[in-house]
Amino acid sequence: MSSHAAAGTIDHHHDPSTSTGIPNKKLIMWTFLASDCMFFGALISTHLIYRLHPAPGSPSPKQIFSLELTSFSTFILLMSSLMMALAVTAIQKGNVKSMRWSLLTTIFFGAIFLGCQVYEFEEFVKLKNVTLTNSMFGTTFYTLTGTHGIHVAVGVFWLILMYVRSFQPHEAGRTFGWFFKNCLHITALVGAVLLSMFAVLGVVHTLHAGGTAGAYFASYLWMIAGFVGCVAVCIGFAQPKALSNFGEANAIDVESMGLYWHFVDIVWIVIFTAVYLIEYL
Amino acid sequence: MDAILKSDLQVKDVATETKSSVFWRPTAQTGLISWLTTVDHKKIGFLYGIFALFFFLVGGFEALLIRLQLMTPNGTVLTAQQYNTMFTMHGTTMIFLAIMPLSAAFFNFIMPLQIGARDVAFPRLNAFSLWTFVAGAIILNLGWFMSAGAPDAGWTGYAPLTSKAYTPDHSVDMWIMGLQLLGVASIAASLNFIVTIINMRAPGMTMMRLPVFTWMTLITAFLIVLSFPFITVALVEIMMDRLFGTSFFEVSGGGMPILWQHLFWVFGHPEVYILILPAMGIISEILPTFSRKPLFGYPIVVFSGASIGFLGFSVWSHHMFTTGMGTVATAAFSLATMAIAVPTGVKIFNWIGTLWGGHISMRTPMMFALGFVWMFMIGGFSGVMHSAAPADAQQQDSYFVIAHFHYVLIGGSMFALLAGIHFWFPLMFGRKIGEFWGKLSFWVIFAGFNITFFPMHFLGLNGMPRRTFTYDGNLGWNSANYIATIGALILGVGIFIYFAVMVYTYFKGEKVGKDVWDARTLEWSLPNPPPEYNYRVIPTVHARDAFWYMKQNQEQIAKEDATHAKEEAAHGGIHMPHQSIYPFVASLGMLIAGIGISVMDNDPTPGFWGKKIGVTMIGGVVMLVGIYFWALEGNGGYHLHPENDGDESNGKKPAKH
Amino acid sequence: MRLATILSSAARWGRTVLAVGAVSLLSACDYNFWRMDGHQSTIKVEGPVARSQLEVFYVTCWVTLVIFILVGAVLAYASIKFKASTTAEEKAIPPEQGHGNPLIEIGLIGASILALVVIAIPTLKGIWYTYDVPEDRKADTYEVTATGYQWWFKFDYPSEQIAGAGALTTANELVIPAGRPVRVNLRTIDVIHSFWIPKLAGKVDMMPNRANHLWFQADQPGYYWGQCAEFCGDSHAVMRFRVIALGPKDFNDWLSQQTAPARDVAPPRVATQDAPKVQFASLRTFKQNETGHTAKYDISPLDAWKAQQFPEKGESVALIAQGKALFKEKACLSCHEVRGHGYAGISGPSLTHFGSRSTLAGALLENNTEQLHRWIHNPESVKAGNKMAKGYIDNNIKLTTEDEVALVAYLQSLK
Repeated sequence: MSSHAAAGTIDHHHDPSTSTGIPNKKLIMWTFLASDCMFFGALISTHLIYRLHPAPGSPSPKQIFSLELTSFSTFILLMSSLMMALAVTAIQKGNVKSMRWSLLTTIFFGAIFLGCQVYEFEEFVKLKNVTLTNSMFGTTFYTLTGTHGIHVAVGVFWLILMYVRSFQPHEAGRTFGWFFKNCLHITALVGAVLLSMFAVLGVVHTLHAGGTAGAYFASYLWMIAGFVGCVAVCIGFAQPKALSNFGEANAIDVESMGLYWHFVDIVWIVIFTAVYLIEYL
Repeated sequence: MDAILKSDLQVKDVATETKSSVFWRPTAQTGLISWLTTVDHKKIGFLYGIFALFFFLVGGFEALLIRLQLMTPNGTVLTAQQYNTMFTMHGTTMIFLAIMPLSAAFFNFIMPLQIGARDVAFPRLNAFSLWTFVAGAIILNLGWFMSAGAPDAGWTGYAPLTSKAYTPDHSVDMWIMGLQLLGVASIAASLNFIVTIINMRAPGMTMMRLPVFTWMTLITAFLIVLSFPFITVALVEIMMDRLFGTSFFEVSGGGMPILWQHLFWVFGHPEVYILILPAMGIISEILPTFSRKPLFGYPIVVFSGASIGFLGFSVWSHHMFTTGMGTVATAAFSLATMAIAVPTGVKIFNWIGTLWGGHISMRTPMMFALGFVWMFMIGGFSGVMHSAAPADAQQQDSYFVIAHFHYVLIGGSMFALLAGIHFWFPLMFGRKIGEFWGKLSFWVIFAGFNITFFPMHFLGLNGMPRRTFTYDGNLGWNSANYIATIGALILGVGIFIYFAVMVYTYFKGEKVGKDVWDARTLEWSLPNPPPEYNYRVIPTVHARDAFWYMKQNQEQIAKEDATHAKEEAAHGGIHMPHQSIYPFVASLGMLIAGIGISVMDNDPTPGFWGKKIGVTMIGGVVMLVGIYFWALEGNGGYHLHPENDGDESNGKKPAKH
Repeated sequence: MRLATILSSAARWGRTVLAVGAVSLLSACDYNFWRMDGHQSTIKVEGPVARSQLEVFYVTCWVTLVIFILVGAVLAYASIKFKASTTAEEKAIPPEQGHGNPLIEIGLIGASILALVVIAIPTLKGIWYTYDVPEDRKADTYEVTATGYQWWFKFDYPSEQIAGAGALTTANELVIPAGRPVRVNLRTIDVIHSFWIPKLAGKVDMMPNRANHLWFQADQPGYYWGQCAEFCGDSHAVMRFRVIALGPKDFNDWLSQQTAPARDVAPPRVATQDAPKVQFASLRTFKQNETGHTAKYDISPLDAWKAQQFPEKGESVALIAQGKALFKEKACLSCHEVRGHGYAGISGPSLTHFGSRSTLAGALLENNTEQLHRWIHNPESVKAGNKMAKGYIDNNIKLTTEDEVALVAYLQSLK
């Protein structure tokens, strides 16, 4: 595994150090995705099999689904894939700043998708009385879409890590001080995502319940304050004082993550079709 | 292990990497830390082998207890519950903790050497796979030390017997969690091997010049990554039933237990090919070497292996012929199962063709290899008998099935792995196992194995069901059972001899030089044992049986090596990966989380800090920390500049451990 | 070095031991492990379904035997002929490096496929034949339902409806008409079981939430052994059953006897003193997992079963009455049915005509006084984990020897 010094521009489509020209990281990601395909295949099969053998008295999905909400979140996820692709193209051109913005938007859209999913689950449980255990439909639905949601959440977390990684200084700057700053940066971003999600969800619920403007700001003040605090930390840490060692050479990492993100998106298209749309045939 | 010859190397670049780093870069070459932090595929392979051989003995002990209980009708050696635990753990241990890791030991040690690589594509991921395997093994066996007892629902864990209602204690939880961790380990390792084989071959090593063992490694790895997700889902579903009260397999909630069987066997059938293909790969190396001829029909052997892998996904319901699937499904799976016999048979023909016209030398590896061919044939025939569904209606769940799969798993997989140990021992450890003792162990094992399992064909046809802790004396099963137990004891003696000789040879055996067997593949071109960096110069491959070609064309090879050596030195020398503790930490986290999920009870007043959730979360945090540090520490690495000569280590004292 | 010498002599000694051991092994038992003519034989079949399955098996045997002989011969020949006879030959210049022969390959693949086609055709025929009763026999078919419980079998006869009680129910011994197809609906109340009578038919599983069935026919009247063939928990190994096939007259007699309510033993016309206490031998201690069958039972089990249909000699009326009362007092009725005596439990086997069965406890023990006493005294020791033992604990049932003796007498009177 001897390294070749990169002379001039990097060819992002061919890695001469491998037998096939495909970078190792890309190949392992593709193979992992093939495996994950089988994993979702088994879960989707389980769901479809039980939809073909419903127990008497089981809920009717058409009465439960809100196709508008799910279509909206599907669209959001597709947009996030677009943002992800932009991030990859940006870093392949060496444009770290543009990549950071694209990553942040991807995170943003991913978080919206997750928020919609949380909202949807809450509606189903509280209003439609579909829980994980009280019907076969609930069981397979939550397991399948929940597993997908976990994949999205892992992806969002990974995006956050990649974003913070893009600020990593060169060798000499990697002190303990930097390390704690690093962890704080991540925590702040995670906090920002979670707090904003909970705050928005809370606001929506309050609105539905007919609350007043004043009431909901009061209830969620601490969340909004926390969110603002986290954002402040992020902005603070995002000033690149020293040059980071993140550049075109790291495009392969972003590209691999992009593959994962696109996969999660495609799986969602399949789930959306096999779980939601199929009920309306 | 004498794998590192530091004395003749100049090491550069180590210091600058470690100074400013937050992350600990372990550099220990000896002692416990060196083992916990190693990323060297050879050491990792060795560790897989040690654990596998240990669990093989554990599984064998469980089998002996089973046979002692069944020696006579109405036996009293074990109670019903103890017996049920024994056969469950025997099956689970032998499959997941003995044969698979023993195969992994060879994948790790031998495969990179065979393709001319210096390590696998992701060395730390490799270490992670190893330690996660150990974590899974621990969780599977925790039950022995707990009141819940070890798992006792059969290695196939059929629902609803595994549901909370019928197995309320934690034994099945530990079985589930142990298998999940083993699945993670297997998938991670297989992803690594796939990338390594596809992407890290030496120049000139085209796919059709790969040694057959490496081909089988590749196909096995694909089988693992594509089939394990099914059992992962099945285990997740039964876990959810047990923990959260869902009804995946709970009929009162509308669940269908047959779904478990389908999911399990969609994994389970490829699993048996995972168990046999590496063995076939080993045999495909040994037979040519000891016949002094190339493998007969190499492309067909490779293609058959791929066909078996592919078709293996289409036959799973032949394990379910008696579940009332209906005539069409039964017929389809029956025919598909028969079809898969064709590529399997083709391999046997090609192995015979390899022997034909050769100069066969009957060394111990060859004896095991020939034993493999005979025993696997018999096991394959009883498999063909099973493929005929009407006949299977009588044979299923009887001792006939037990006879069949032990013939292919012991006579097949185990014989090949035992052959592989003898074959590659000189390469791995620089010592050769003595012929007399090797052959003696072979004959005792061969005799004991056949005496144990051949009568079981008749037992099955005489109506004895499997998984039964006792039987009455008036059914005509007495003599077959008695003989089988004697056979098992003989087999035990044979295994004991084999192990004793292997351990003795490791410490005091006859030291040998390079290429003891005048072999054909690249790994034999290395010193015994190979240095940490494997190849001083990456070889250029000109033909199949690359080493054979090298031996016939030594001048050409020497010239090439000299040129390449200069190029590599100009590029900065050999790049070696740093050792790392973080894969171990990540696996440790998974172990803790696994224990939390499977063993801990919810406190009577469940809360966020209840034991179950608490321990699981601690494990999760440790795992995340391990993974995060692993990502942050970066590739690192350092460079070596080996001397131009002096890699012939024979006679040189290897570095002390 | 010394160790090696010791080991060498041990090896020589070991070889002698092996030889001696082999001889003594052969003489110790009647070394007939290859005989397949036991009670659960799949070779000595006695019905068309099992026969059809056996024929498919024989086809596979012949085909694989031929292949084994051919391939084995070539393998053996090659191993011997091409063995290097001297070390010099081993190291000699290797022979011509052959790489393969496509013609041979294709030929062998073709031959393999042909051999498999030979197996496939009878296989497909057999799959269709054994799946369900052939059309032309459907009218003559007798239908029963078998339900698997941990660890016994319930049998229902839907065509024998009893006024006010539903279908005729019995347990563990399935009595059927000989010479007629019998279609069994397979159900289970708990986990997966499997219904296997090797001499009559291959098994089919009893799966929860799944309507499986199998069919078979007993050509002649006879007594057949069966066993559960899917691991179902602690006592799977001792979940057994019997099938008794009877000629038309015998079968009708049996049905009349079974559909009648439970037998009452009339008190003697002549008044007696206080009922003589019939002394049973006190219960001996049984070894763990001791067999529950006597050797004489195997001599002619069908005759023994027929004899079982008639009342025991020396029935004690008073003891039976005592047992009948105890059956209620000790809460046996909460699980067991005795139709006609007012006992209607459903979670355990029906005992209405228990006395007419040749076996008990899931066909594990012979139905005689000693074994019945053994079972009632301590069910857990006979069948680990069984529900009756749990019932004793849950209902706080305590039985004295006198109680047990009376219950035995009562149960044995239920012919």
